[in-house]
Amino acid sequence: MSFLELKNITKRYGPLTAVGDVSLSVEKGEFVSLLGPSGCGKTTTLQMIAGFVEPSAGTIRLDGRDITRAKANSRGLGIVFQSYALFPHMTVFDNVSFGLEMQRVPKGERKPRVEEALSLVHLSPYAKRYPRELSGGQRQRVALARALVIRPPVLLLDEPLSNLDAKLREAMQFELREIQRKVGTTTVMVTHDQAEAFSISDRVVVMEAGRITQIDQPYRIYEHPETEFISRFVGKTNLLPGKVATATGAGATVSLAGIAVPVENAGLSVGETVTLCIRPEKLHLTAPSNGLLTGRVADRFFLGSQWLYHIDGPLGTIMVVTPNDGSTPAEQGAPVGLEWSPSVVRVHRGAMAEAPDVALEVTG
Amino acid sequence: MTRNGPVALIFHTLVVIFMLAPLAIVCLVAFTPENTLSLPTKGFSLRWFQAVFHHPDFVQSFWNSLWLAVLSATLAVALAVPASLAITRWEFPGRGFLNALFLSPLIIPHLVLGVAMLRLFAVVGATGSFGWLVAAHMVIVTPYVMRLLIAAISGFDRSVEQAAFSLGASEATVFRRVTLPMILPGVTGGWLIAFINSFDELTMSIFITSPSTVTLPVRMYMYATESIDPMMAAVSALIIGITAVAVLLLDRVYGLDRILVGQH
Repeated sequence: MSFLELKNITKRYGPLTAVGDVSLSVEKGEFVSLLGPSGCGKTTTLQMIAGFVEPSAGTIRLDGRDITRAKANSRGLGIVFQSYALFPHMTVFDNVSFGLEMQRVPKGERKPRVEEALSLVHLSPYAKRYPRELSGGQRQRVALARALVIRPPVLLLDEPLSNLDAKLREAMQFELREIQRKVGTTTVMVTHDQAEAFSISDRVVVMEAGRITQIDQPYRIYEHPETEFISRFVGKTNLLPGKVATATGAGATVSLAGIAVPVENAGLSVGETVTLCIRPEKLHLTAPSNGLLTGRVADRFFLGSQWLYHIDGPLGTIMVVTPNDGSTPAEQGAPVGLEWSPSVVRVHRGAMAEAPDVALEVTG
Repeated sequence: MTRNGPVALIFHTLVVIFMLAPLAIVCLVAFTPENTLSLPTKGFSLRWFQAVFHHPDFVQSFWNSLWLAVLSATLAVALAVPASLAITRWEFPGRGFLNALFLSPLIIPHLVLGVAMLRLFAVVGATGSFGWLVAAHMVIVTPYVMRLLIAAISGFDRSVEQAAFSLGASEATVFRRVTLPMILPGVTGGWLIAFINSFDELTMSIFITSPSTVTLPVRMYMYATESIDPMMAAVSALIIGITAVAVLLLDRVYGLDRILVGQH
């Protein structure tokens, strides 16, 4: 039995199913992220764990105890809200101390524990300040200290970093993970930012339209997305529709607009409609005659450590990302060849869905 | 922030002068030693202030008004806090109606309310009752309190309460330790506006005060219909002074911007 277990959790609002049949097991000390676009039900799921929303069906167990209908104030979970939700009329010290006070921790014991929590988030000198006198990052740390000081069995983070600017967000990501490792608290984080989810989670739960579509380690999700939606949502990807031309033993070829592309055979049958999914960084630029495909550089973007190319060819525009190794990049308009190894091509069965807006919205 | 041009500046100055000049003149006239409201005055005297305190009916009316305003404002706040919380946060049948009902006294002329209350008091046998006078004033001041409170509660981040819950606080504790302190500027501002409105109310009160419950505005009105002398100015100056002190205190403690504009 896992530490935190969600079993067939469902939340319906009238005819609308916000969360449908979600099952998830989180081990003790694990850092799990719920990742998905807005409206996918990830926040509702978190709120059901927190006890702010009552599930329509299913059970939630914490350390073997059924807490499905338990009140939020009896669960003892630590929660960091997107808005931080600090008590504006209390000092940093009082904010952090509040939870201990509610647990009737004696006054003498409260002080050292608050101080310990504040030093964990490097805010000891700010104990006497009010939240309005702190920066966004500092408020975030207060919220974290306030949630951790009660030594919760599970820490819930609701988009904890989304209100910070890009630079600070990255720094806080690593710090968050470091603190989580140090205290060892089981953590569930909700985020729409895949970079955030990937960089600090042990496992990522991808949600789509109220359902879980994949639970896996970040690396596995990126390399082996189980659905086309995930491959679009997670990082950049090239999606190419085609038909299986040959399938023999371990290998197969897929015909894309008349060009045969070798792929690994995963029980494909000849004539089947498939969508190939190739990550831009798995493609390499070569001389025009050498590659599996030829094309022309339509556009190129300098990203600092990388170059992003848009290559126009017989299959439409293909994105290619190459590391900036210091050599001269391909010129705009120059003819180039594209090559890749068959093992990097992911094959999704069925035709391509018409919803590329997600891919445009979220970039890697 | 855009700066004002010279025309706008002159206009604003004139508006401020227009608003403040009568008050300033009343205060000046209050110190006249003469028997008429004359300006410029020849000397300086406190005789009209002394005269006020030698009129026991005025002193009595002042206390009537003060108690009336304190009670009606406090009761209105006590009623409006739960009412505004319910109206702002919960969907329930009759919510819109309740909201309109609480705000309706704003659009009913006080004259009409006065006549209606007069009839009501006669019917229930409450003529001359101070308690019923308080109730009537509550009707008038509650909408103001509701308006400020609803504004304060609408801008309230509910996750702050959720945070308190998650830390183990009971609902009563959350209200006492988190919700109430956070809407306190709205509560205080509402109370202040209610107090001022009640203290100032004349039109309705004329109909429903009895000799023992006559309020200060009614007393002044009755006095002024008979004779205008500088004692009226002295009473006015006293009221202006008390109000100014109250507002200054409030600004010191909470900041008027926060209370009346709802800025945090």
